[in-house]
Amino acid sequence: MLQFIAKRLVAGVVALFVVACLTFVLLYSTSGDVARNIMGDQASAASVAAKAHELGLDQPLMSRLSSWLWQATHLQFGTSWFTSQPVFTAIANRLPLTLTMVCVAILLIGVVATFLGVTAAVKRGAADRAVQIMAVLAASLPGYIVGIVLVLVFAIQLRWFPAISRIGPRSGAAVWVASLTLPVVALMLNGIAGAAQQIRSAFIKQLEQDYVRTLRSRGIPEREILFRHVLRAAAPAGLTVLSLQFISLLGGVVIIESIFALPGLGSLAVSATTQGDLPLVMGVVIYTVAIVVVVNLLVDVANGWLNPKVRVS
Amino acid sequence: MSAAAVAGLSACSGDAPAGGSSASKEVVLGILQEPKSWNPAIAHVGHLLQPYQFVYDSLLLRKSDGTLAPMLATSWKYTDDAQTVLELTLRTDVTFSDGAAFDATAAKANLDHFKVANGPQAAMLQNFESATAVDAKTLRIKLKIADPAFEYYLSQAAGLMGSPAAITGKDIDLMPVGSGPYIMVKDQSVKGSQYVFTPRKGYWNPSLQKFTMVTLKLLADLTARVNAVTTGQVDATLLDATTAQQANAAGLKELSWPVDWQGLLLFDRDGKVAPPLKDVRVRQAINYALNRDALLKNVAMGAGTVTSQVFGPESGSFLPELESRYAYDPAKAKQLLSDAGYASGFDLTLPLPPGIETLLNYVKQQLGDVGIRVNLVAVPIADYQSTLGKGTYAAAWFSLFQGPTWVACNQLIVPSTLYNPFKSTTPELKALLDATQAAGAQVGEKGKAVNTYVTENAWFAPFYRVNQIYFYDSKKLKVTPQVQMAVPTPYDYEPAS
Repeated sequence: MLQFIAKRLVAGVVALFVVACLTFVLLYSTSGDVARNIMGDQASAASVAAKAHELGLDQPLMSRLSSWLWQATHLQFGTSWFTSQPVFTAIANRLPLTLTMVCVAILLIGVVATFLGVTAAVKRGAADRAVQIMAVLAASLPGYIVGIVLVLVFAIQLRWFPAISRIGPRSGAAVWVASLTLPVVALMLNGIAGAAQQIRSAFIKQLEQDYVRTLRSRGIPEREILFRHVLRAAAPAGLTVLSLQFISLLGGVVIIESIFALPGLGSLAVSATTQGDLPLVMGVVIYTVAIVVVVNLLVDVANGWLNPKVRVS
Repeated sequence: MSAAAVAGLSACSGDAPAGGSSASKEVVLGILQEPKSWNPAIAHVGHLLQPYQFVYDSLLLRKSDGTLAPMLATSWKYTDDAQTVLELTLRTDVTFSDGAAFDATAAKANLDHFKVANGPQAAMLQNFESATAVDAKTLRIKLKIADPAFEYYLSQAAGLMGSPAAITGKDIDLMPVGSGPYIMVKDQSVKGSQYVFTPRKGYWNPSLQKFTMVTLKLLADLTARVNAVTTGQVDATLLDATTAQQANAAGLKELSWPVDWQGLLLFDRDGKVAPPLKDVRVRQAINYALNRDALLKNVAMGAGTVTSQVFGPESGSFLPELESRYAYDPAKAKQLLSDAGYASGFDLTLPLPPGIETLLNYVKQQLGDVGIRVNLVAVPIADYQSTLGKGTYAAAWFSLFQGPTWVACNQLIVPSTLYNPFKSTTPELKALLDATQAAGAQVGEKGKAVNTYVTENAWFAPFYRVNQIYFYDSKKLKVTPQVQMAVPTPYDYEPAS
């Protein structure tokens, strides 16, 4: 198992390095005149040139890349060009909120989608059709539309929840729950639809296997067959779809954070990208890729634990 | 030009309790942008000036009607005929939030710092030569050349005063140290989210400390802003014509005032990239081809005023007769094109920034109706401003602030501005600009000739002045818009009762 984890870790580090290099080259070679954006329209050409020099924008691309990589290996990602805040601090301030939102959403997606998927697979008939129709409907609703509707109904009309985040530095759990309920629901709906379908298919496939018939012929209770054997065998497919959902949620959270004015990693990525705040964009990319690598590793480990054949392969 | 000492803001004892008797309310304002740094030399204009004014006083105060009043300077006047030596008398009862005293030496340190800090408004001090602390309360500023906008600049970013010991340090990026009415509460302020301010003890003018707490909530997204203000999570914020109905339905008070003008900047007056634009008749034809009323109604939802001039009503150089100088007349446009030798039209490429597709497609259609074939080329928003300055395009759309006369001249007309990428000028225009620059108090009157020149020569093709649409909860607040400013200054807000 350790060798299995080590292999995955090495692959993750390589992926991180490749993504970092590609992102850096793409960003810095197509970034336009960031110095002018920072200085504004009233600045003279000399002021803009001085700013470009200060930021190292007049250095060759490879020189900047090697310098950035060297600093990155020491976990130094520089300072935001637009907010003067260290990149590490900016991300550290915003990551907990985004991770909380995404993790809560993925947990709820896992629970609800498993319940719906298993119910549809076992009951079939009307229950199956109802789950399938519901899944198609939910999958056709973009998260941002759901978010806007939720705000209109539950924040503006009913006033049950705040329309925008109330989360501040000293906010308690009640404020977090109130501020994150609608965004998490908006994030979840789409994910539940996809995950329930996948889990249903995986469960049906397992139910058709010979070992299920054998277990039934030996008189083992149906509940034990379903939850001890079939669910375990179908779990890798479910875990894989949830890991994909997790990555998808990290992208989907961008718009949801804007709608609810949540100071998370998504809104940071939007503002940094729009402005051309390259150090911050690089920081966000690296942290996001690192999270994706870790999540994939955890899923691989879980799959390996559930199904030893995966480790061998 | 000299500025008389105006009956000023009340000077009160430095021992007054924080907030004074009038400070008994909290207010939450939704803002669109946050400061890059709290260094006062990095302050900008409009949205990026307001946050600084909570923590930094300026040498002069700009009132909501645009007139200048005393603040840290109690009086000021030019002492020479050439209008190049400005002497300011400063308050003697002012301290910074780090305890340091404000005096002429501190003011000089700030101006010197602003000059070299390479902030976005460094050009405000382009004509500043030196400052001398004559004594503790007298500051003498020497200009290289007369600058009719200099006093205005001292009420803006260039006039913000920070503690001399702090402004050159590194901590100033994240924590302001000024002499202003409020101090920032660091442990409640989070970059990218909110900034919290409370009244500063010992402030020299408690009448400006109208609130017990001010929170600036960063809401870049329009949907988030309208949701926040209609549910009472913020008390005031900037919206637009598309969201005004929702805010009005919620019973909020609407303020509407013009700040920016939108239109085409016809850069290539010498025909370097697009030869047809060299002919003034072609530039005038573009103006006549525009159905401004239709653009205003269909794109800006009627929230503005159509115009043919780039100088605003409060600029000092506004001319009512130029408002409809180029009333929609496609037949005349075609005739002018024909007279200029372009009866079959010509091709014109315009850069297209994101979000302006509808407007520029209307423009494309209207110009196409008279034979001008417009090609729109998408340009990313992060590159748009710098693209305009490179002289790649003969003309471009933009939305630009309508400032006082000399500010507008510097922004739009002089050869050195970003928005004159081909350095266009003529001896006649140069003479008019020189006369305006040297006009002192008559700058607005002299500027009218500049306005007439650039309008008659169709340097621009303005569409309309677009309204700022600001909403606030009138049960909690009174807000007065500040002319020519995107958002009110902190001094323009007060509790409703």
